[in-house]
Amino acid sequence: MTDKSVPPADAERAAAWLAQHGLADVRPTPLLATRLAARRRTRLAADVLLAAFIIAVALIYTVDKFIGAAVDGSGPYWHWSLLVLTAVVVALVLAQSLLDRRVRRADRQAAAALPRRAAHPVPLGWRTVLGVPRALFAVATFAAATVLGVSALTTQGSTARYGAFVLLIGLCGVAVGTVVQLRHVLTHPVVADDEVSLTADVIMRVEDARNVATPTVVWSLPVVSVFETALGWWIAAWLAFIALSAITLALITTRTAQSGTVARHAMSAG
Amino acid sequence: MIVIDSASPVPPFEQLRAQLARQIQDRTLAVGTRLPTIRRLAADLGLAVNTVGRTYRELEEAGLIETRGPAGSFVSADGKQGRERARRAAEEYAGVIASVGIDTDEAIRIVRAALTNGSADSPSP
Repeated sequence: MTDKSVPPADAERAAAWLAQHGLADVRPTPLLATRLAARRRTRLAADVLLAAFIIAVALIYTVDKFIGAAVDGSGPYWHWSLLVLTAVVVALVLAQSLLDRRVRRADRQAAAALPRRAAHPVPLGWRTVLGVPRALFAVATFAAATVLGVSALTTQGSTARYGAFVLLIGLCGVAVGTVVQLRHVLTHPVVADDEVSLTADVIMRVEDARNVATPTVVWSLPVVSVFETALGWWIAAWLAFIALSAITLALITTRTAQSGTVARHAMSAG
Repeated sequence: MIVIDSASPVPPFEQLRAQLARQIQDRTLAVGTRLPTIRRLAADLGLAVNTVGRTYRELEEAGLIETRGPAGSFVSADGKQGRERARRAAEEYAGVIASVGIDTDEAIRIVRAALTNGSADSPSP
């Protein structure tokens, strides 16, 4: 891999990324620039994918409501729409998995060009990469959202119940997608040839994991279905949930070490 | 950190074994530390699974690591057995040197040459 193979813009972004993580004196290598560029493009595609997912869920819900299938919760289209919704959720998980594969392929190609390979003698577990507070936060967020979804399912009318179904199926899809992505982040092979690139690899892993575990889709999912039909207390509860989890995430972000610090700590440990 | 240099004349197996053994001996890897799975380390270092498996087996035979079934491989508390074996071997060597009448300087040169041929070409951790 030569310098010519990396666009100057990618090299500049890599230099800025290194400076942002306390490695300003390190020259951005083509390896790093390529890996960062692959991640940047994939993250953008993943954001577009999630936006498309939310729009698809909203469309299914709206079309169903428009043709009156969901009014009493037992129309002929009701089961079909839930089936389509499930298909959309499965498509989301598959698409996320394919995006992850693109990143891993870019990493594999970068690794194949290395005459030297470096690795940690101590495996980096989820505690190091994601951290206990963020893992607990992600689990608690999904659990709380599920509880709110189930409460809408059990206590309200059939229209709201349909909306709650939409929410719960969407939540299941996002949860599975999150687990799949986190597994990829934790298990894909290290790509490094020296201490600096190994540190950069850990930073990328930590950033990827933190990005995956941020529940922005969970926060926005009910907007497309349940909000229109839910009772006031349910909307208030959901808004309180969003506010509380956003504050918790902000606290976790400020109180836990930055990705660069995590990486340097991991390097000194192994 | 472990580094495998494909351009080195030292085989990857020996590079890996020497670096892990050194890090265990000098306590960079503490007793009880869990090592990566064979498959994981092979993927990280771009090595064949058999190569890493052979390294782990040799380290296990040397008493430096122990495998606890599905829990994985750990730095052994019996790592000092390796030092004890080395001390016993040195005593035997000293006996041979005395019996054939080689002087101390030459004996040390022989040991140094043997060590150099064995692992000194391995990259530092």
